[in-house]
Amino acid sequence: MDEFSKMAAREREANRIARRQWFWLHFAVYLTTQVFLVITWALGDSTFPWYVYPLFGWGIFIAAHAVYAFVVKTPEEIMIERESRTSEGRG
Amino acid sequence: MSWLLGAFSDRRTYGSLVYSLLGLPIGIFGFTVVVTSFALGLGLVITLLGIPVLVATLILVRAMATMERRLAWSLLDASMPRRPPMRPSSYGSFWQHLLDLFSARQTWREIGFILLRLPLGIVGFTIAIALIGLMFGGFAMPILVAVGVESQIGSWIIDTIPESFFYLPISFLFLLVGPRILLGWGQVSGRTATSFLGVVDNREMKRAVTETLVRTGEADAFSILSEMELRLGRVPSVNSTRAEATLLALESTGQVQAHREGSTTMYRLRDDKPLGQK
Repeated sequence: MDEFSKMAAREREANRIARRQWFWLHFAVYLTTQVFLVITWALGDSTFPWYVYPLFGWGIFIAAHAVYAFVVKTPEEIMIERESRTSEGRG
Repeated sequence: MSWLLGAFSDRRTYGSLVYSLLGLPIGIFGFTVVVTSFALGLGLVITLLGIPVLVATLILVRAMATMERRLAWSLLDASMPRRPPMRPSSYGSFWQHLLDLFSARQTWREIGFILLRLPLGIVGFTIAIALIGLMFGGFAMPILVAVGVESQIGSWIIDTIPESFFYLPISFLFLLVGPRILLGWGQVSGRTATSFLGVVDNREMKRAVTETLVRTGEADAFSILSEMELRLGRVPSVNSTRAEATLLALESTGQVQAHREGSTTMYRLRDDKPLGQK
């Protein structure tokens, strides 16, 4: 691995950390809002659990964000990882 | 406090205001044109009349995307490529050209952005108008009441001067935070525009690498990346990972050869005589 590859790997790692931090921030806002909505529902006189709509509606976006933050890799990242595995195998 | 007040003197705050106000009419126009023309074109494809309609739609989409790039760049300081995206080559048959036009990722990103501009435009316009109302409503209310115009908040009718001052502290508060909110929305809009319209595709990356190596003869990846940023612009899609992947791709197809010099790798074009040299 040359100097440039090391720098690129560091930048990828920094981006990955930033993506995860943004996810946790999003998740904290989601959780706080949902707790607030459930408390509002519990204190009110409505029996219908209307809080499930934002819970699942926003939940879809939370799930998508989690996939983006923890699973998804760009084609370039996959290509570089494969190449480095191959060169390690050769070495 | 300076974080809040700094937004007043930031040019992008006012750019964001203009961008948000323009967003609604532009969003409605773009969405209507794209949806109507695609529905018409696809419906008429069976009679072959749909093909010119679809081609005209794509040309219009490109023109609108170019205008959007300029708007986002000039009003929001959004990162945009230095040169417009590469278009499909004009060589080959008419049908090949048409197929290239439809299969280019850039085309679909541009269509996606124009469709997204409507909901974003609605949100932006609402934010801008609500903020203007909240920021200046409190100052306007005593004047309006003094000239005999009544205001109403819910069931409360404000028709005396002392009552009209109730709204003033709210306006003061929003006068402080409003510009910062506008600036923040402008940054969100700018990043959205960059992620759809500011993407440099792989062919352009490869061309930039080849052009750099033609000019320099031999270069390391750091110089190639800075040359790419110079040629293509400082956009998020021109980064070290993509530069490394482009070099790997060119190396695997045999267009570029690499050799190690200590801890750096030097790259040069495979040809002994680089392109452009006699």
